[in-house]
Amino acid sequence: MTDRAMPLTMLPPGRAGRIVEIHAGQRLKQRLVGMGLAPGNTVQVLQDNGGPLLLAVGESRIALGRGMAHKILVQSVPLPTPRGEFAP
Amino acid sequence: MSQPRRLRVALAGNPNAGKSTVFNALTGSHQHVGNWPGKTVEKKEGSFRYRDLWVDIIDLPGTYSLSAYSPEERIAQEFITQEHPDVVVNVVDASNLERNLYLTAQLLEIGVPLIIVLNMTDVAEQLGYKIDVARFSQLLGVPVIPAVASKGEGMEVLREYLYQAAQDPSQFAPPHALVQYEHEMERSVRQLTEALQGLSDLQGYQPRWLAVKLIEGDTQAHDIVAHAPGGDEVLALLDKIMDKLRRTYGEDVDIVLADARYGFVRGLTRQVLTLPKQPPRTLSDRIDQIVTNRWLGIPLFLFLMYLMFNLVQRVSAPYMDWIDSLFSGPVPQWTLAALHALHAPDWLSSLVVDGAIAGVGSVLVFVPSLMVMFFALAFMEDSGYLARAAFVMDKMMGFLGLNGRAFIPMILGFGCNVPAVYATRTIENRGARILTGLLIPFMSCSARLPVYVVFGMAFFGAKAGLVVWSLYLIGIATAAIAGWALARWVFPEVHQSVFVLELPRYRLPTWQGLWLHTWEHTSEFVRKAGTVILGISVLLWFLLNLPWGVTDPRESYFGRVSGALAPVFEPAGFGTWQAAGALVSGFVAKEVVISTMSQIYVGEQEARMGESATPLNWREDARAIVAGFLEATRDAGKAFLDVLTPGVSLFPHDEGAQRETALSRALHNAFTPLSAFAFLVYVLLYTPCAATIAAQAQEYGWRWAGFSVLLGLTTAWVLAVAVFQIGRLLGWG
Ligand SMILES: Nc1nc2c(ncn2[C@@H]2O[C@H](COP(=O)(O)OP(=O)(O)OP(=O)(O)O)[C@@H](O)[C@H]2O)c(=O)[nH]1
Ligand SMILES: [Mg+2]
Repeated sequence: MTDRAMPLTMLPPGRAGRIVEIHAGQRLKQRLVGMGLAPGNTVQVLQDNGGPLLLAVGESRIALGRGMAHKILVQSVPLPTPRGEFAP
Repeated sequence: MSQPRRLRVALAGNPNAGKSTVFNALTGSHQHVGNWPGKTVEKKEGSFRYRDLWVDIIDLPGTYSLSAYSPEERIAQEFITQEHPDVVVNVVDASNLERNLYLTAQLLEIGVPLIIVLNMTDVAEQLGYKIDVARFSQLLGVPVIPAVASKGEGMEVLREYLYQAAQDPSQFAPPHALVQYEHEMERSVRQLTEALQGLSDLQGYQPRWLAVKLIEGDTQAHDIVAHAPGGDEVLALLDKIMDKLRRTYGEDVDIVLADARYGFVRGLTRQVLTLPKQPPRTLSDRIDQIVTNRWLGIPLFLFLMYLMFNLVQRVSAPYMDWIDSLFSGPVPQWTLAALHALHAPDWLSSLVVDGAIAGVGSVLVFVPSLMVMFFALAFMEDSGYLARAAFVMDKMMGFLGLNGRAFIPMILGFGCNVPAVYATRTIENRGARILTGLLIPFMSCSARLPVYVVFGMAFFGAKAGLVVWSLYLIGIATAAIAGWALARWVFPEVHQSVFVLELPRYRLPTWQGLWLHTWEHTSEFVRKAGTVILGISVLLWFLLNLPWGVTDPRESYFGRVSGALAPVFEPAGFGTWQAAGALVSGFVAKEVVISTMSQIYVGEQEARMGESATPLNWREDARAIVAGFLEATRDAGKAFLDVLTPGVSLFPHDEGAQRETALSRALHNAFTPLSAFAFLVYVLLYTPCAATIAAQAQEYGWRWAGFSVLLGLTTAWVLAVAVFQIGRLLGWG
């Protein structure tokens, strides 16, 4: 199943996606990668209030501004992930 | 025996992994810890002795990777890569292994001697995670120590390993390049490493690490090489290598490196970590569903703030009355008696009682309210709520051109502006950082509360609480307007700042942790009362009594200078020399406004009452003091229950009771309710204290500190005048 990549903001709350691309300057990108928002990792949107997103990345919970979330491209993946981290 | 041996150890790890807790456990000191990422923003040194070994240990700010993003991360990164500690102790959060190990992968890449503290194993266990420590250590070739730093578990083992490291640190250097890059990438790294080895001045950086950073596109690494003699050739080689790499991997060459590290990390976690079959939906997430909810988030936050300020006012009031009764009765009486017995001259008695005791006492009265305030803030910090508040308020902060990240320093500003200014270091965008630092002074710090309370009691009776509330809100509104204007015209770059913040797991704060926080800040306040405020009170006494023999304080040096300034405040309704004088000394610290006023207004007549009063009875006084304290405790307990059950008043309290003190009587002669309110607005908005200016100068430079002073003075004046003039037009004067 090869879904087309979409911005993280389009991922409905509760769904998970695998990060495919991050558009950001070098330093910011490194910070995101260090926090776990790295291509290949899976994220889940926990809250989307129209403000910043609340994300689950592995064990971390990360608040991410909408502007930035627009520039992270993900592919929707089924829940739960192989390691079962995000089962509701 | 020879010189004791020394070992230099750096504590590194992700934010909130427990580094400062480990530091405290080892050194027995009380570094600030808190349940939000970015608590430590400056490296802190400490040392301890273990057998014949002295260990110098450096607590670093947390960092997610060795690529610095914000200023506090740079401190950590530069220390590790350039200052070559003998050993790096990497504190890893066992309940969030994969993410934490990304930094570990980079530390392994640099090849520094490494000891891993696998912290928070208690949390991991609760979640049902199993970690094979022996295998972990074997795979990495460095020690891995399971620990619960907050309970001191594992610290003994860590000391023992550090002792071993002192014999020969290199035994803990990771054995071989664990992080493997893909074929072509690895070749490029090697090629560049060799070229770098030919350079002489790499500022302490390791060539291979620098090569990796260059390929990553790190501008700092680029600068270092550009400055080294012969660096140009290496940079030319870099360009060629990058062209080739881009042809193979596309534009995101740096991501290929990150991929390799995560590949290593995932492989490692798969081998050492066993997850429970049925991963629990954690309590933390369930709380977040409510706390960060679209509709509930903001009301809940406002309610919590309301609760906090209510607690501060109501619970502390009985104790404040009690302390007040000490400083208006027994303390000056007994001091006078003692001075009398020592045949001290009258002027000395006056200096001690009217100057020192009156000044310091008027400030110490507020210790209870500060303690409650700091306790409440500590609770927000330690529970993990503070980061949620930042999340919830992000949208609102957007109006000031800032984001949720800036909200944390602002909230801390309600406690004290000085640490709040330092906390802005976690904001990476320079404009946003300075802007936040300029707005913090409008957050009404706890030192301003005494002024509000004294005036509130004197003029507004039952409405005192409302007046205090309105002042906090005026401060926030002013910050909003100033922030909006500054973001628009002075710091246009803030709009590009990005909001990313990790929300830590909720934790039930421990009494010990809360008490430590509270005590730390309160003792700082008491220390200030014993030094700065005591000093100023004494100085003020002299300025009020010089030239020697002056009877009318208006004619004293202090009176003359203040009198010259007074007309400036005429349009705001408080153009008296006393008010101007109090504001001048309040520049040093806001508590001084009250101590100055009590010296000027109350002066001689009050404290002397004791002399003619009933003969001193030691036992009687002591009994009254203890009884007063017990009564205060009972009242505070009732108030506490009352506040926690909003709407229902379990114990009716007589709010209408105005406290009649000598100061409030004197204030009535000098102010009308309207001019008193204008005065409070001025106190709220002008420069908070000398220490805040110094902190701003250190963080943003003297020019911005100066700008902040001007901003404070003008806004304060304009608003105080507006309040007074509009109030008069409406006929409230
Ligand atoms: N349950 C548990 N909590 C811990 C442990 N170690 C530390 N804590 C708590 O974790 C929180 C963070 O600890 P800090 O020591 O401030 O973390 P830090 O790594 O210094 O954080 P920064 O300075 O922000 O980088 C605090 O609330 C500690 O009380 C542990 O082993 N178990
Ligand atoms: Mg710390």
